Amino acid sequence: MHWRHVFKVVGVLTITLAFTMVIPLLVGLFYRDMSVRPFLMAIAATLAGGIALYLAGRVDRSAFVSQREGMAIVALGWVVAGFFGALPFYFEGEFPTFVDALFESVSGFTTTGSSVLTNIEAVSKGLLLWRSLIQWLGGMGIIVLGIAILPFLGVGGMQLYKAEVPTPVPDKLQPRIRDTAMILWKVYALITVAQVIALWAGGMSLYDAVNHAMTTLPTGGFSTKNASVAQFDSLYFDLVISFFMILAGINFSLHYQLLRGQTLAFWRDSECRFFLGAVLVLTLVVSFDIWRSVYATMGEALRYGLFQVVSIVTTTGYATADYEQWPAMSQLILLLCMFLGASAGSTGGGMKCLRIMLCFKFCYKELFSLIHPRAVTHVKIAGKTVPDDVLRSVLGFLALYMGLFGFCTVLLAGLGVDMVTAFGAVAATLGNIGPGFGMVGPVENFAQIPYLGKWLLIWCMLLGRLEIYTLIIFLVPEFYRK
Amino acid sequence: LKVIIIGAGEVGFHIASHLARENKDVLVIDKNADALRRVSDNLDVQILQGSGSSPVVLEEAGLRSAEIMLAVTNSDEANLVACLVANIVSPATKKLARVRNADYDTYHETFREQAPNIETVINPDIEVVKTIHGMMKVPGAVDVGEFAEGRIKFVGIYLDEHSPFNQVKLMDLPGQLGGIRPLIAAIMRDEELIIPRGKDQFLAGDLVYFITASEQLEETLAVFGKQEAPLKSVLIIGGGRIGYRLAALLEDEPFTCKIIEKDPAKCDKLAGRLNKAVVLCGDGSDQNLLAEENVGDMDAVVTLTDDEETNILASLLTRRMGVRKCITRISKFSYFPLMTTIGIEQVVSPRLSAINSILQHVRRGKVLSAMSIKGEQAEIMEAVAMETSAIVAKPLRSVGVPKGALVAAIMRQEHIIIPSGETTIQPDDRIIIVARREVIPQVEKILAVKLEFF
Repeated sequence: MHWRHVFKVVGVLTITLAFTMVIPLLVGLFYRDMSVRPFLMAIAATLAGGIALYLAGRVDRSAFVSQREGMAIVALGWVVAGFFGALPFYFEGEFPTFVDALFESVSGFTTTGSSVLTNIEAVSKGLLLWRSLIQWLGGMGIIVLGIAILPFLGVGGMQLYKAEVPTPVPDKLQPRIRDTAMILWKVYALITVAQVIALWAGGMSLYDAVNHAMTTLPTGGFSTKNASVAQFDSLYFDLVISFFMILAGINFSLHYQLLRGQTLAFWRDSECRFFLGAVLVLTLVVSFDIWRSVYATMGEALRYGLFQVVSIVTTTGYATADYEQWPAMSQLILLLCMFLGASAGSTGGGMKCLRIMLCFKFCYKELFSLIHPRAVTHVKIAGKTVPDDVLRSVLGFLALYMGLFGFCTVLLAGLGVDMVTAFGAVAATLGNIGPGFGMVGPVENFAQIPYLGKWLLIWCMLLGRLEIYTLIIFLVPEFYRK
Repeated sequence: LKVIIIGAGEVGFHIASHLARENKDVLVIDKNADALRRVSDNLDVQILQGSGSSPVVLEEAGLRSAEIMLAVTNSDEANLVACLVANIVSPATKKLARVRNADYDTYHETFREQAPNIETVINPDIEVVKTIHGMMKVPGAVDVGEFAEGRIKFVGIYLDEHSPFNQVKLMDLPGQLGGIRPLIAAIMRDEELIIPRGKDQFLAGDLVYFITASEQLEETLAVFGKQEAPLKSVLIIGGGRIGYRLAALLEDEPFTCKIIEKDPAKCDKLAGRLNKAVVLCGDGSDQNLLAEENVGDMDAVVTLTDDEETNILASLLTRRMGVRKCITRISKFSYFPLMTTIGIEQVVSPRLSAINSILQHVRRGKVLSAMSIKGEQAEIMEAVAMETSAIVAKPLRSVGVPKGALVAAIMRQEHIIIPSGETTIQPDDRIIIVARREVIPQVEKILAVKLEFF
């Protein structure tokens, strides 16, 4: 294990992060708000931290990155980014304790969208932009960004990529990982710009449009308004944002194929069909459930049903309605949506449709071999056999996910949180969604969670974003053995 | 006419034997001296030991003066390389190759148009699968062949003791049949092939071949009491190339299909490539496995392993468990006469079908298609009548069709005519002729198609 090499790479990433802070600094200068001084301090601290890390690892000349080092770089990179990203929040003084600032920062980078802010609109514009920007950076992945723009990460880039984008079946769009990362970021940026234009054209201010686009595409869910998207109360915005949330929940390599002219790319991908089908069916079920019991007309029921289902299943976490006032069935469907999540290779969180599909197919295969004991069967996706090791890692992931969910729920309840809140908060942070149930519902926030509970949820968010394995590997003693 | 055959295996041997009997100059090349000895001991052909892919050997064999070269070794690669080399040595020689790998399926045309310019790529697996599929579509029949793009069917059925036609003379048949008029083309009785005349009669146990228009097939079968419910479930034993092809073909049709293969690695591959069929790993003659999978309730079993003893055994076993129809793959021609005796009715042979297709291509002149029937005692040919031919423009009765041959059907434009003695053949009619092996040269003579080999 070359720890020095890990430090060196993380140091460079941190220095890059310091440069990105210049953007909100400029915005702060433009609006002449109080965020200028905190940003200057944060940039200085981040630069110093980054340089220190780089110097600590400078002597290491090795270019080879093993799978273990890849995981260490990614895990440490995310922790360090969360830490330095919290500095502007802390320096501005809007947050009472450092853990609150850290919570907000990690919630941003992991695209969760849970907030501890009670009055968002009171925060300066520079800082709010930073809040959106870190979601945008975290959505496609800070390491993937690093691979795309930092040439020296090209060697061993695949190890880093696999550690940060741990889809069951990684697709490499180009022979070189650097080109793949670049393509993904370009597609991501392109769709973001499209959404800015769509929102701006609908009458949203440019500032709000940019912020919302930057938090829709990574399926983040931070809004610049206290009441989230509900504040605009516009059918047009609801539909535009729903549309882009769905896009963000689809595998980005499919977007790339679509842009390359393969018009049927979405239809040909079985996971995408499953995801879109799930969105459609769940929207219809929820809308029927809330029709008459909550909303008078079917149109309204569909409008709010669609937005809430899409927002939760893509793990974005915007709200246009308080779903805690809805009938139990709809609430439970939304809770299950938190586990389902979006497609693999998208910016969404949760368990991912692909894994759920594989799990169902595996169960069917088991039943099948009870009927035909000597049959040889394979689990297939789109007519292609899924290798056994992939299947094992998927099942392991689902088991770990549920295990962690149970464990963290118990811990959180042990800290004095009620049952519904504990369930909702852990499901929402582990799945990188945002709002949960109970005390952390769509119209409330995470400020009420006890101090230690916030620490716990910070780890849940990181575990969810890095899909468990990359982070939890540090708890395995074998990892440190020479 | 000189033909060079590369590969003295079962296929090479039998083609050489057919062609030698038809007075062609045949030269067989093989690396294996024993295989060559078998050829030279039994057939009147020339032999040459060496590699068919070697330009030196091909020169020595006189490839330049040969019209046709057949590459029929067991190896696809050897056949392709032989054709490639032959194309360089003697581009004028027509080349035919046996290529069985399914990956080449879509490239047959390309092989013709570009180097190595193989005139026809023969894949007997495709033919066999087509044959099996045809048999499954006509469950009452034992043997099914198609002519005239499928518009005429050539069908073999067994007459059992309860058949109403038992001991009926052929000339009395029209009275009993009413409207439909199938033409009885051949009768197999005690391993003897009879081209029947009016006074011959049917006996129980006969295998009767008749020719009929495709749309009348159902009715005809009904008359013979052979109309059966369509097959719905099929068990394939043996997951080799043919087994896989068949299973893949059946996936697109309303069949439920199970496939048994012994080799776990092959099972894995099959399971990866097939989507609906149930792949079972085990021995096809294992009674427990067959019982476990309820084979008795299945409609048909097709045994396609490389080991014919296993095939025979599995067919007999499943037949006893209650399967309606068994199709058995047999490779050794010496087994054919035994099959009826031990109760196996339907047999397919990739080698036989390779021989059939190659012969058909060798006779390419005006013979459109040809097929051998059971035991290779006779052939059915589809040919175009030419103006110069002796068969044209007089009533069939006075043409002098040799004994042992029969004009079974005439296609005139869109009409199908089942001929009688008074029928006159016109130029450009397509005629279907059944002929015993030994009268084929005479048939060629009266057709005057004779020897329009290329």
